[in-house]
Amino acid sequence: MSEESVLRIPAKTEGMDLILAFVSYLLDLNGCSGKARTQLRTAVEEIYVNQTLYAYPSGDGWVEIRGCVENGTAAFTLIDGGTPFDPLAREDPDILLSGEERGIGGLGIYMVKTMVDELAYEYRDGCNRLMMRKQL
Amino acid sequence: MTLTTDKSGTKLTVHLSGELNTMTAPNLTALLDKELGGVKELTLDFAECDYVSSAGLRVLLATFKQMKAAKGTMALANVGENFQDVLKNTGLDAVFGI
Repeated sequence: MSEESVLRIPAKTEGMDLILAFVSYLLDLNGCSGKARTQLRTAVEEIYVNQTLYAYPSGDGWVEIRGCVENGTAAFTLIDGGTPFDPLAREDPDILLSGEERGIGGLGIYMVKTMVDELAYEYRDGCNRLMMRKQL
Repeated sequence: MTLTTDKSGTKLTVHLSGELNTMTAPNLTALLDKELGGVKELTLDFAECDYVSSAGLRVLLATFKQMKAAKGTMALANVGENFQDVLKNTGLDAVFGI
């Protein structure tokens, strides 16, 4: 198994550039470009934003991202030690509604579901863990 | 993200260059808040922006509703492959007439 890379930072919106740089770096090292790269960066952005907004309602916290590319598949796991929350349990938005009927939010997690091949959530050892995999 | 504008009468075109994401979407909101008064035809040119996350979609949807309420129009121009996929997967291609 190839070695996993790990980055742990404070759970702040300002950390987004660091998180995306981490994802880009790993993908670039493995020659991943184009659509898969954009989709993985977007998917990680959506999960990280949720963590910074909702994981720690009462104060500061951390987010850890783990990533590796092996046999042409990229795997990223986003971990936080905040309030237990399964983002995948939320009902998908109705994408057939007209512009007027649409709510402004709720698309982020749905987008993630359309962009990666595998997505799994678990709460273990006091941490939320969201794992995604995508063939490159 | 760099935003440049062309304004002519009631027509406004905004050219986006870079990534429309959580960090940059507020810049687009701020620009539109400043420039949208009296505009009836808004065009957002994505020729140099093919990364749009949900934060960007929220701005586009809010602006679309705002333009509609003001009896104006909003069009997306030069939509790239990745952005096109995002629009299609979220059903917003039909909303924005792409």
